[in-house]
Amino acid sequence: MKIRTQSFLSFIFCWMLILRSAVVLSEDLLGVAPQDEEYYRSVSSLGTIKCKDGSGTFTKTQLNDDFCDCTDGTDEPGTSACPTGKFYCRNAGHSPLSIFSSRVNDGICDCCDGSDEYNGKIKCKNTCWEAGKVARDRLKKKIATFQEGVIIRKREVEQAKVSVAKDEAELSRLKNEENILKGLVQQLKDRKEQIEKQEEKERIQKEKEEKEKKEAEEAKLKEEKVNVEEQESKESNPENEEKIHDQDLNKSPVDHDVELTHNDASHDNIEDEHAEKNEEPSKVEQEYNPPHENKQEDASEDSESLSREELGRAIGSRWTGKKTEYENDHHHDHDHDDDHDDDDHDDDTHEEYSGYDTENEEDHRNYDEDDTDDRMNDVGDASHDDSTTSHKYDSDDEIDMSDVENTSNPSWLEKIQQTVKNFLQSVNPFQTPVDTSEAESVRKEYDDASGKLSKIQSRITSLTKKLGHDFGPEKEFYALYGQCFEIKENKYVYKVCPFKDATQVEGHSTTTLGQWEKFDESYKVMLFSNGDKCWNGPQRSLTVRLRCGSKVEVADIDEPSRCEYSALLTTPALCQEGRLKELQDKLEAVNNKQPLGHDEL
Amino acid sequence: MRSIVVLHHFLCLLLLLSHLNSVSSWKKEEFRNCDQTPFCKRARSRKPQHCKLIATDVAIQNGDLTARLITPKNFEQNPDEDSSEIASKPLILSLSVYHNGILRLKIDEDPSQNPPKKRFEVPDVILPEFESKKLWLQRHTKEVINGDSADSFVVYLFDGYEAVLRSDPLEVFVREQTSGNRVLSFNSHGLFDFEQLRVKKEGDDWEERFRSHTDSRPYGPQSISFDVSFHGADFVYGIPEHATTLSLKPTNGPGIEHSEPYRLFNLDVFEYIPESPFGLYGSIPFMLSHGKSHGTSGFFWLNAAEMQIDVLAPGWDSESSISLPSDQKRIDTLWMSEAGIIDSFFFIGPKPKDVVKQYTTVTGTSAMPQLFATGYHQCRWNYRDEEDVKNVDSKFDEHDIPYDVLWLDIEHTDGKRYFTWDRVLFPNPEEMQKDLASRGRKMVTIVDPHIKRDEGYHIHKEASKNGYYVKDSSGKDYDGWCWPGSSSYIDMVNPEIRSWWADKFAYTEYIGSTPSLYIWNDMNEPSVFNGPEVSMPRDALHYGNVEHRELHNAYGYYFHMATSDGLLKREKGQDRPFVLSRAFFPGTQRYGTVWTGDNTAEWEQLRVSVPMILTLGITGITFSGADVGGFFGNPDTELLVRWYQVAAYLPFFRGHAHHDTKRREPWLFGERNTELMREAIRVRYTLLPYFYTLFREANVSGVPVARPLWMEFPEDESTFNNDEAFMVGNGLLVQGVYTQNAKDATVYLPGDETWYDLRTGTAYKGGKSQKVDASGAIPVFQRSGTIIPRKDRFRRSTVQMENDPYTLVIALDSSGKAEGELYIDDGKSYEFKNGAYIHRKFVFSNGKLTSVNLAMSTSAGPKFLSDCTIERIILLGHLTKSKSARVEPTNHVTEVELGPLQIRTGVRPSVLTIRKPNVKVSDDWSIQLL
Repeated sequence: MKIRTQSFLSFIFCWMLILRSAVVLSEDLLGVAPQDEEYYRSVSSLGTIKCKDGSGTFTKTQLNDDFCDCTDGTDEPGTSACPTGKFYCRNAGHSPLSIFSSRVNDGICDCCDGSDEYNGKIKCKNTCWEAGKVARDRLKKKIATFQEGVIIRKREVEQAKVSVAKDEAELSRLKNEENILKGLVQQLKDRKEQIEKQEEKERIQKEKEEKEKKEAEEAKLKEEKVNVEEQESKESNPENEEKIHDQDLNKSPVDHDVELTHNDASHDNIEDEHAEKNEEPSKVEQEYNPPHENKQEDASEDSESLSREELGRAIGSRWTGKKTEYENDHHHDHDHDDDHDDDDHDDDTHEEYSGYDTENEEDHRNYDEDDTDDRMNDVGDASHDDSTTSHKYDSDDEIDMSDVENTSNPSWLEKIQQTVKNFLQSVNPFQTPVDTSEAESVRKEYDDASGKLSKIQSRITSLTKKLGHDFGPEKEFYALYGQCFEIKENKYVYKVCPFKDATQVEGHSTTTLGQWEKFDESYKVMLFSNGDKCWNGPQRSLTVRLRCGSKVEVADIDEPSRCEYSALLTTPALCQEGRLKELQDKLEAVNNKQPLGHDEL
Repeated sequence: MRSIVVLHHFLCLLLLLSHLNSVSSWKKEEFRNCDQTPFCKRARSRKPQHCKLIATDVAIQNGDLTARLITPKNFEQNPDEDSSEIASKPLILSLSVYHNGILRLKIDEDPSQNPPKKRFEVPDVILPEFESKKLWLQRHTKEVINGDSADSFVVYLFDGYEAVLRSDPLEVFVREQTSGNRVLSFNSHGLFDFEQLRVKKEGDDWEERFRSHTDSRPYGPQSISFDVSFHGADFVYGIPEHATTLSLKPTNGPGIEHSEPYRLFNLDVFEYIPESPFGLYGSIPFMLSHGKSHGTSGFFWLNAAEMQIDVLAPGWDSESSISLPSDQKRIDTLWMSEAGIIDSFFFIGPKPKDVVKQYTTVTGTSAMPQLFATGYHQCRWNYRDEEDVKNVDSKFDEHDIPYDVLWLDIEHTDGKRYFTWDRVLFPNPEEMQKDLASRGRKMVTIVDPHIKRDEGYHIHKEASKNGYYVKDSSGKDYDGWCWPGSSSYIDMVNPEIRSWWADKFAYTEYIGSTPSLYIWNDMNEPSVFNGPEVSMPRDALHYGNVEHRELHNAYGYYFHMATSDGLLKREKGQDRPFVLSRAFFPGTQRYGTVWTGDNTAEWEQLRVSVPMILTLGITGITFSGADVGGFFGNPDTELLVRWYQVAAYLPFFRGHAHHDTKRREPWLFGERNTELMREAIRVRYTLLPYFYTLFREANVSGVPVARPLWMEFPEDESTFNNDEAFMVGNGLLVQGVYTQNAKDATVYLPGDETWYDLRTGTAYKGGKSQKVDASGAIPVFQRSGTIIPRKDRFRRSTVQMENDPYTLVIALDSSGKAEGELYIDDGKSYEFKNGAYIHRKFVFSNGKLTSVNLAMSTSAGPKFLSDCTIERIILLGHLTKSKSARVEPTNHVTEVELGPLQIRTGVRPSVLTIRKPNVKVSDDWSIQLL
């Protein structure tokens, strides 16, 4: 009994001690993080403890006495005395925060629980509950985005696997077909040449015969008409020479008609080029060396010849680095020319964007301040306007393969093979005279086959190029291949085409911000580099930060330094399951910490 | 066909590229040199003893010594090579004497002779109260000098000095009474020339052409030139603004390859080069000399026209018959101006600080800045929009780097219409400023003097309606070209127009401005893109029919003045204005801050920024700085870091960059460099109590914050030519590092005292060069015998530091003594003028530190109260070991222990520290080491 009482008393005593020390510590341990409490408690027992950096020691009275004894701030976790220290706010209802000790009692409420302002100069409202709720809601939204994104991602990864396999299969099939077709084309070519040779022979023979015949006739005529004028006979000679000349030309080794036409065409082109070249210097002069540019080039030399306004613009442009308006106008012309040329050449890079919605608004999103770590990788708020559009760009890949890739008729190759075989068997190359219809069909067959071959080869090239790209460890970025994403910001339309390029379009003028370079920062960033050169500056470049989102969208675009652009792209590719798990754990942890009666979950 | 197009584009690119190269450098030929400037060419070609004038009718009138300058009859028949002899009407000379060793010499045309026009006298530069410091001369004495045929007239000038007017040959000089040694002299070499205004006659072709511009010069040649000699001088200094050394190298004479004179003509020079006598954005025609034998003297010519000044190498006048005592070193100078009058001031010194005080007695001391303005400023052309501003601001906090002001360049406006906002980029300017202000931060926006000629722009509408623009020579509003395109320029010479302009800064007029918004005046040389030499035509007309040529150098000054008045007005005179200006003139120091314009990110430019700022300091404008990092181009990281380290000790501390450059905020260069730049900025903030005290000293006495070494060590000849190190106040010596990969630096420590390394406390002996570590920071030393107040807690900005306790660092001299001061006020208002401030003097001797009140006792006026305490006192050079100290009058004992000199992680406690004396900074107290 006695013992019991004693132990009970000592129990009470101990309990009181603990309570007491807890009270004392809670005052002394102002600004101390829970994981450090143990360290600071040892002051009470040891009397003196070492600064964490070993720079000195401090006693219990020196703890939080508003005088810096440890250069690392160990002794002043709760005051502003040490410049290198950190202050821990518990922020019950929200997330705890470690702030610079320079924020303590500086008259600005930094902790949502207001614990950093305790000297009475300012009263901070406890906003943790509201802030926490906002943060939790945001976290929940983010989780929702992730959940959605993870599913899409999974699907896309699966699809990518299938697609890549399909692409690879196609590639190997095409390579195989290419081989066969190459052989066939060669055979057809040989045959065609044989026929043509034969035809040629026949023709020469025929001509020879005709000539002989004619000569015989002429000789006969000569004999008959002895008194013919000399001039007449002289005139006939050049005629003959001409004919011989024609024959010579025809005798030259000509492959086939198509190639002949091609040669002719290129010849024409060369002639055109000559003509162009003759024109060129004056054109260059006219277009690229106008008087105002002269001035721009060196105002000091030619300022006399400038109007006052031109001089003003020229001198001012030194600072701005901007071209004067004249030049801008000119630049527009230039771009316009560019477009025009492209149109002329039916350049497929200038496909029309019928799906592009000009009414789209720019996306001005405010990122949460204390969520910077997350915001780069994840979408914090998926509820923004759908401001971006996407479309395919890879028309250059989309060669019309219907004739070679018709799955319903997989035997096209066999058919060709058969046809060729038939030809080779049925057609006797040494048959005289050459069967003209047969020759025609050999030519046609050859044209068809070589056309198909070149299509297959270009498809092989584009497939090889595509499969050469790094689509991420799980090929999760495969879906982005061949897509472009747009955002309108003020007067510009920005177009980001992963694995290809990025451009800025203003009216008719297109500026390349960069060519696809690579992924960076373990697939969190896309780099586009070597864009158009800036006037008086570097080559443009674009850094695209990637974040998780259920849709692929350009969320933001910016030019923090001149000609160095940055954009934000949301994509399910970044919605990793592991990260979702982390977020869910985080939410759970936050919810568990909620004070009772406050938990709205 | 395709290849043709490609070729075509390639050619175009080539053209563009070549054109790029040609604009990326200083366009020397766009600016006039002396040979292309007729008055300069004429003046430079004159031989000694050119002047034939003599002084007659010498008399005392209205307290002045006056005379008429005439050409004697026998010379009149001998017209010289130039036009000045054509008009030979007498000139009027007057000599006035002012308190404390100032002699004023004025020479102008005689108004009674009806000149065609009154020549321009620069108004509103000389302090109104200066006239009251005039000593009314009662009498003169006569003497004959060197066997002259005519008398010389001597008047009393100052204790030990007298002024002499020698009438034939004409000469004015100041001499020491006892020795007779000259100090300063005027026209000792007879180079004086004064082209009088004439009425144009048939056949007179006065037009001047430069490149595509024609100057009609309706009044013909009207230039003035003369020689000034500085006796006992080893070096001359001053006459900013030039990107050159502190001591001015000779520009003419034996051994000088062709050199331009130092030009004073406010110009917007694109990509100026270091090391050139070429004129830049501002002009102060004030030269100082310093030498071992006499000490310091100064000469100031108040004239706002284009000026050219030659520093003549010894022996330039070898043929001259003038003989001066050969034991005296002398520096001769030639001063030439296109127009105006002679209104000049001789300052006798004899100490460096005396000359600066004398000069600022005439033109005013620098305004007391707000505390925030002494902190760090972050600028860029341009922080693009509100989000950008928010982001940059929060990054400072994220990296725990203090800063006080965020700046917006021209792009924030609606089409370069000042006082407006681009509402797409800045939809809520007031909210933005309030948000910054909630963390104690200010904003600065730019307001330039060119006004967009746009009928829809209210400023233009009012200015054109009221006739407030500068006129061209035909009397129409002058139409030039600047940022907004076609622009006109407010005629700031007219006080009425200045007042109108000032009203535009009212919160109701400047929509979107708040009390935390301050102003930046750029392009006020004025810069006119399509004008002659990128400025305004000289025959443009100002208020009062004054030609632009007559006041060009003061235009930016009046603009700065009007803007500063505007900020004063909007808060009814309660808030100290902050206005940064690029152009400047004598008196600018009363209205605000200047910076050295568009420098370049190169090591040589960091190097030259130090003498440029020191020169501004000794010519009155102490609150100046250079763009940290260099405006044009991308600094390499090491240069940027060094720039922060040097600039942190210079009065105006602002990072700025051209819009073509990469972002360069301090956190963009990796952790280590962020740390170094943070450290540089933090050191500045810890020293702000010291800086602020020095700004107050400059405000009271004119003595600059950043000083050439010779200002503190006038006897130490090794310092006279040193401009790579400088003093902050009398207590800190800062050695810049201006080269790549410097691990250490050689520092000359002047005097025979001991110097303490600011970071380590290591003691160095003075009087010789020391090699010291410079790897992590530039070398800085505290001079023994000084006490420096600090605040060692870092905050977001100066506002949050207000209540933080002080640290005193006492560096004892060999006798165990030290002294220092601390000035505190509310940091923003003018209440200090009524006595609402704390000014303490700390004196340490015999192991006892005493705080003495230096403030004037005003019982009636408002008081400035502070609860700030002193938390730490560091003793350097204290030999006896003390364990404790007794604080009086509270009579408590506090601990003395070893502590760190600067609180940084890993620093060993090594210096004697009085721990928590916790005395109030406003109180009288003493602390005795036990």
